Amino acid sequence: MIEYIQSILLIISAILIIISAIGLISLQNNTKNVVYARIHIVGVFDIACILAMLAIGQYLLAGIYLVIAPFTAHAIANAYWKKEDKENNLNLKTVEKVDENNPFIHPREKIEVLETKDSGKFKTDSKFSVAMLEIDEGE
Amino acid sequence: MDILFVSKYIVVIALIIMMLAALRASAYKSSSMGLLGSSVVVVAFAVALLLVGDLYNLEFYRDISLALILFGFVGTVAFAVVLGGDDK
Repeated sequence: MIEYIQSILLIISAILIIISAIGLISLQNNTKNVVYARIHIVGVFDIACILAMLAIGQYLLAGIYLVIAPFTAHAIANAYWKKEDKENNLNLKTVEKVDENNPFIHPREKIEVLETKDSGKFKTDSKFSVAMLEIDEGE
Repeated sequence: MDILFVSKYIVVIALIIMMLAALRASAYKSSSMGLLGSSVVVVAFAVALLLVGDLYNLEFYRDISLALILFGFVGTVAFAVVLGGDDK
């Protein structure tokens, strides 16, 4: 009887592992927040591994992995949020130090001041907002 | 044939498929995806070792998989802390 329970647990974990493998590679790269979605899918894989460990009688390993798996997922998501998540993290969109003489990169505050100063001219049509930068050809 | 024996082999095959999928996912452009894929590969390999050791009555495989799970966790968290940088 115990053999059947172990087998059922192992087959359930195999099905969950296959589903998570398919989900991990079938998500499109241009999907929004795709890294968080993949971390979420790996959570399914973690639980499948814990089920397999329980089925073969490794209770201590299953308990240890049950505790440490969320820490791993959170660490990866936190690292992605801090350094690479340009979709959601506004701090990553600004350039901190800008050379004043650089003709191509302008600080965000300067552009905002320019936009607010000249915005009266362009409000004839409220559907569009136009930002203009004067380019001196002598530079 | 024993059903437990067959189901252990099925899980090992599923883990190999998961390892291949994680290797593919770790080749995507962000380094967080590489970190995620490598941690999945380590855990899948550790569980596959556990199952193989259980199939062939090899006791020391359990110790290797325990070391893999623990040090894989430590390495993943350490790399994630280095990647994330300091809190301001």
